[in-house]
Amino acid sequence: MNNAIPAGPGPEPPLSLIFDPQKRLARLAGALTVDAPRSIWRPLEPDKASASVAGINGELTLDLAGLTALDLNGSAQVLSVINQLDRSGVQVSVRGLPDDLAVILELAREALKAPTASPPPRIGLIEETGRKLVAIKNDAATLVTFTGKLVIDFLSSLRHPSSVRWATVEHVAEVSGVNAVPIVALVSLLVGLIIAFQSAMVLKFVGLEIFVADMVGVAIVRELGPLITAIVLAGRSGSAFSAELGAMKAAEEVDAITTMGLSPVRELALPRVLASLLTTPVVTLFACFAGIWGGCLVLTAMGYSLLTYWQEAISMVTGTTFNICIFKSIIFGFVVAAIGCQRGLAAGDGPGAVGEATTSGVVTNIVVVAVIDSLLAVLFYVWDI
Amino acid sequence: MDKTMATPVRVEGLTVAYGQNPPILENLNFAIRTGEVFGILGGSGSGKSSVLRNLIGLVKPRAGQVFIFGQDMWAEEGRWLNVCRRRFGMMYQAGALFGSLNLLENVSMPLREFTDMSPAAVETAARMKLSLVGLAGFEYYLPVRISGGMQKRAAIARALALDPKLIFLDEPSAGLDPITSAGLDQLIRTLARNLGISFGVVTHELGSVMNIVDRAILLDKAAKGIVAEGRPADLAQMTWPPYVVAFFHRRPLEDEGKISEANNARQ
Ligand SMILES: Nc1ncnc2c1ncn2[C@@H]1O[C@H](COP(=O)(O)OP(=O)(O)OP(=O)(O)O)[C@@H](O)[C@H]1O
Ligand SMILES: [Mg+2]
Repeated sequence: MNNAIPAGPGPEPPLSLIFDPQKRLARLAGALTVDAPRSIWRPLEPDKASASVAGINGELTLDLAGLTALDLNGSAQVLSVINQLDRSGVQVSVRGLPDDLAVILELAREALKAPTASPPPRIGLIEETGRKLVAIKNDAATLVTFTGKLVIDFLSSLRHPSSVRWATVEHVAEVSGVNAVPIVALVSLLVGLIIAFQSAMVLKFVGLEIFVADMVGVAIVRELGPLITAIVLAGRSGSAFSAELGAMKAAEEVDAITTMGLSPVRELALPRVLASLLTTPVVTLFACFAGIWGGCLVLTAMGYSLLTYWQEAISMVTGTTFNICIFKSIIFGFVVAAIGCQRGLAAGDGPGAVGEATTSGVVTNIVVVAVIDSLLAVLFYVWDI
Repeated sequence: MDKTMATPVRVEGLTVAYGQNPPILENLNFAIRTGEVFGILGGSGSGKSSVLRNLIGLVKPRAGQVFIFGQDMWAEEGRWLNVCRRRFGMMYQAGALFGSLNLLENVSMPLREFTDMSPAAVETAARMKLSLVGLAGFEYYLPVRISGGMQKRAAIARALALDPKLIFLDEPSAGLDPITSAGLDQLIRTLARNLGISFGVVTHELGSVMNIVDRAILLDKAAKGIVAEGRPADLAQMTWPPYVVAFFHRRPLEDEGKISEANNARQ
């Protein structure tokens, strides 16, 4: 009788479990509810050292006559302890439960009789790797298919311009093109400033600071302007497309479009890609302009006149360089919007799906833009332009 | 006085309104008694869910008080709000399951947060609650992978998790087949009778109203209040006002304007 653990200061007789190993009898008294502390069951916990429960084997009687209240969570505690004892080889018989409470225990016991599922098996490393590879392969395939559909829709939209949702195009062009100009210009200005500053530090030793202007002009217009614009737009507009279309997918809006006999690519992706195609070159021009001005700030601070700098910088921007800039910006505009939309339309369901689609869109975009940029650099070198 | 003896829900002079909009319902008075299944009935858009949002403390009443087990919910600048909230379970109209957790985790989460039960007991309890609503075998499914009706049942299981003495259900049987819905009715009745749990149930399914509801109020948008209160069997016998008659006999209202005038006149 010395195993009593009173619990809880409630007004009821306190919950207690009195365990008598000699008689193989455990008496539970008080209110056994959701508020019961787990320490109450300690006397009946399996003894790890002797592999037996509280020093007994075989049978145990659980006397519940003293219970004043019982709820389903209380029943769950009783049943889980009985189950635990059972697994350590102790059969428990329950007795004495007042009728009104027995109904509850019976309800709980019945509920637990239904066949339940066990946790799904964990996937091994090799299988996981295989699954990832297959997923990447499928992913690349869907991206190619999607691009194909998009190009077909794009060509047909050229033949039938009236079939395009120009209202959407206009709205997207404003939100993701025009509104992106300040941030793109700011980033580009700072990059131009940094390049100019760093190269001026070096060129100062040989007294050729003025060539900083040429360098900034070429670097910004040929490479960095389009690249900075593409990366900022990938993070700003591409991600917005993924999230927007992903949310529409989750809300079954995309399914609704499909079942109306319309093509989600045409209705949702095409206007965004068109808007991006139209605005990205313009945004890129702003970026180039801002970048060159960034360099200008450094050189004027070093005492050169504005006019000298500007003439020097512009002299390097030939027609070819300018065309390369525009060409790249068109490619990037297409890629950023297309991948953004594709990731949105391919979003899974579930709460994390939109987030995953957005992340995947931005990451894919940055990788693809970088790869395309390097390929173009190699090509232009080989073609000597 | 023992705190469990207090009336589970008492509503005094409650005015339901959103923001600066004109009130949807005015001066509601009713109580949900211990072990009672209380129906909140009314047409679509009559403000049933809104009343519930006031009862569970999601929206502060424009006027009036809500007492949960005798405690004024909004007394002392919301100091009692969470205390009151922990004393009831709630099933939302759209389920509101946690999408990133499987069903077992959804149900065991409140148990792990708020009780001192052992992990084994928590799992047993969660499996039991899922089984009670007929979802044994779906423990490891994510909410998006089960049907709408199943999500609803899982949400009921989560509302049952902590064995609250008071449970609010927003349209528990909407979207369920007749058999499952009858099973749910039976479960609600069993819990009310055997565990003394009180239920506040929003529903417009007449079948289950007649089956399980002990007492009900009928809300009317036009009258901005309660147009009838009592046992469903009695309400169904009423011949006046026309809104009540139409509601319990599944008839369209002949003339909306006239009827709301009549109701207003009676108020
Ligand atoms: N968040 C909110 N802001 C403003 N008004 C709201 C809001 N939610 C609901 N309402 C208005 O309150 C009224 C009642 O809405 P409520 O959702 O309570 O209806 P209901 O009776 O639950 O209807 P149903 O049976 O269709 O669920 C409606 O007219 C609605 O326009
Ligand atoms: Mg509602």
